[in-house]
Amino acid sequence: MTRSATSSTDSAVLRAEGLRREYDELIALAALDLRVGRGELVALVGPNGAGKTTLLAIAAGLLDPSDGTIQICGAAAGSVAARAETSYIPDTPVFYQDLSLGEHLEYIARLHAAPDWQAHGASLVEQLGLDQWWDKLPTQFSRGMRQKASIALGFIRPFSLLLADEPFDGLDPPSRLVLVEMLRAASAAGAAVIVSTHRTEIADISSRCIALHDGQLVYDGPPDRSVISSGELPVPRQGAGAPGRPRSGTR
Amino acid sequence: MTDAAAWSANQPSGLEALRDLRAARRRRYAEQIDWIETLYRLYLGVIFGGLGLALISGALADVRVGRHTIETIHRSGPAALGLLVAIAVAGGLRSGARGGPLVLEAADVQHVLLSPVDRGAALRGLAVRRVRTATFAGLVVGLIAGNFAFRRLPGPPAQWFLCAGVFGAALAASGFASAMVASGRRLHHAAASLLAVLILGWSLIDLIGRRVTSPASMLGQLALWPLHSTGDSFALPAAGLAAAAVAIGFGLSGLAGTSLEAARRRAGLAAQLRFAVTIQDLRAVILLRRQLASETPRSRPWLRLAPGDGPRHAIWQRDWQSFLRWPLVRVVRVCVLGALAGLALVGAWRGTTPLLLVASLALIVAAFDAVEPVGQEVDHPTRLSLLPVGAGDVIRRHLVAPVVMMAGVLIVAVATAIAAGAPGQCVAVLVVMVLPTAILTLCCAALSVTNDPYAYAFAPALGYFQTGLPVALVIIGAGAPALIARQAAHHGGSPVAAAVECELVVLVICRVVIAALRHRTATRFPVRS
Repeated sequence: MTRSATSSTDSAVLRAEGLRREYDELIALAALDLRVGRGELVALVGPNGAGKTTLLAIAAGLLDPSDGTIQICGAAAGSVAARAETSYIPDTPVFYQDLSLGEHLEYIARLHAAPDWQAHGASLVEQLGLDQWWDKLPTQFSRGMRQKASIALGFIRPFSLLLADEPFDGLDPPSRLVLVEMLRAASAAGAAVIVSTHRTEIADISSRCIALHDGQLVYDGPPDRSVISSGELPVPRQGAGAPGRPRSGTR
Repeated sequence: MTDAAAWSANQPSGLEALRDLRAARRRRYAEQIDWIETLYRLYLGVIFGGLGLALISGALADVRVGRHTIETIHRSGPAALGLLVAIAVAGGLRSGARGGPLVLEAADVQHVLLSPVDRGAALRGLAVRRVRTATFAGLVVGLIAGNFAFRRLPGPPAQWFLCAGVFGAALAASGFASAMVASGRRLHHAAASLLAVLILGWSLIDLIGRRVTSPASMLGQLALWPLHSTGDSFALPAAGLAAAAVAIGFGLSGLAGTSLEAARRRAGLAAQLRFAVTIQDLRAVILLRRQLASETPRSRPWLRLAPGDGPRHAIWQRDWQSFLRWPLVRVVRVCVLGALAGLALVGAWRGTTPLLLVASLALIVAAFDAVEPVGQEVDHPTRLSLLPVGAGDVIRRHLVAPVVMMAGVLIVAVATAIAAGAPGQCVAVLVVMVLPTAILTLCCAALSVTNDPYAYAFAPALGYFQTGLPVALVIIGAGAPALIARQAAHHGGSPVAAAVECELVVLVICRVVIAALRHRTATRFPVRS
């Protein structure tokens, strides 16, 4: 369920300028400039500790940047307007202990004033093979089932920007294909989708690949399986991105 | 309708969803409660708690204070109690700068605070409930203090109960409110610390000058209102109460600014903390509390020790390396606890016997910091098991440096007692108490951190005994010598001689505790052949 319009005149759904985040002495993100436009499906890749989760959490409004700005549809990340536009699927699913899957879907849909959430919720759980689990507690699900439930919660509400942090983790191959289809559909409907992953399946559907290394943007270009599998990331040079490749900007 | 207008229009429905869900969860929770059992426990708690308190108060039969002491309390008491309020506010500010005082569910952070509903409105209900709980806890503690106060001080008992109860409630609410203000307004650590120092400084100036100028001292004056003279105006205590109310309102109004990063971190830690409390794992509680307070060892030690050679003093050196990495806040806390113990012991010497409990608790809390090297050893059982010496022997050697540290804490207590004008006999007794009390508190803390929280998972009564024993031993070992020495002084005997005799018994208790520690660790971490 994606939003059909935004109030911003800027075509970029996500716009980061000089985005920087430090944890004590560790630089998790170093002065990142980034624009992601409507309908783009971006594979965000990089080795562990590259800054992928930090970038997504800042965009979701969960973390504050140490410096720089980040806007979602023209509103500061974390503001009410930005929260209405951003759906975030965390790397570790988070659920209430005392709510069933159906109750979670209802609650989140209502918090976001999602229209016709019952039909959409039923369709989502059917797609993800969760229809038998509607009345069950997600906290008692297996790892893969919890991940599917978390994906359903990410898709139940309207959004212009979908941030998915390692959404393929724990999913079986058929479920991965379902998720690929869901991401493709969200992007086709006009949402900007950013997926942090090491899975090469994303190469087939993504329109752009962004690689981070030690908090720096080292690749921003067409999807490349070798880059996505993160074994062959170009090492950043002092003050410059990967040679011959665009560093940033909406393509 | 633009999207911005649509978000605004959606706000009420989002809040309505939030209210509906919370109401449904409360109903579900209430359905699971066995009300008869709960009421029965409450009934027992009130009956036995009240009876116990009345019996203890009656049994202590502390004498009423003289005219001179009443005058001193009347002059310095408001500022002294104001200092307590200032400490609570300063603690609240520091906690708030780290994201306190609210503890949210991780799911609330993810699903509610990331949704487009007003965060202030979403958090207000929880914050009000927490303020209510803190205020009620403060009220109960205040009532207990009022119960002891009216037995020694002039004034109608009802007035003492009322004033002490309201003071306790206002003290707790002020601490909580200051944390909400710091958290909601995103005060930086440095700014919060500076503000805390200023508030403490103002109260200290009041105390030194025996004046009532700060709102904290005004609240202190409220607690001692039963001692007021006929011409005294109630304007200052009322202003103190108003300041506390304004702080609560200011804190509640800024809740929307709460940091989600801190909320998420606290959510995870608080869940672990609740579990640790449930299984009575004091060591885990201490470690998690330090993480909640972002209290980490210094990356650069206060002083770098020269590298040692050979195994002879390896443990001694390792322990001092640990102490030399204490963050400033821990150093200050341990010193304050030592000073508090000293003041409480002087108060007990002068006739307020319940203060012995305060002194004992302050010392055991300080000992939990001093025993850290032992805790670290127990936290890494594989390393301990692989050493070429018995674990019991390692733990015993680990006690030496922490005992020296605890002796330092007790020296702070003695110095504070001298500064507070304690009589010579009292100071002499405290000096006798330094070493045995340091050994006892440290050994009891070591006994506590080496407890296996799962050992009595199926026998909760034994679990409570295991958790409570070290604390009980400290209360007896630190309180009894002071009490017996005081009795000796009252009956014309030598308090120092009485204290020395008592401390010999305390040393025997220490010997038994050390033997138990060695046996326990040797059994849990046997040397592999």
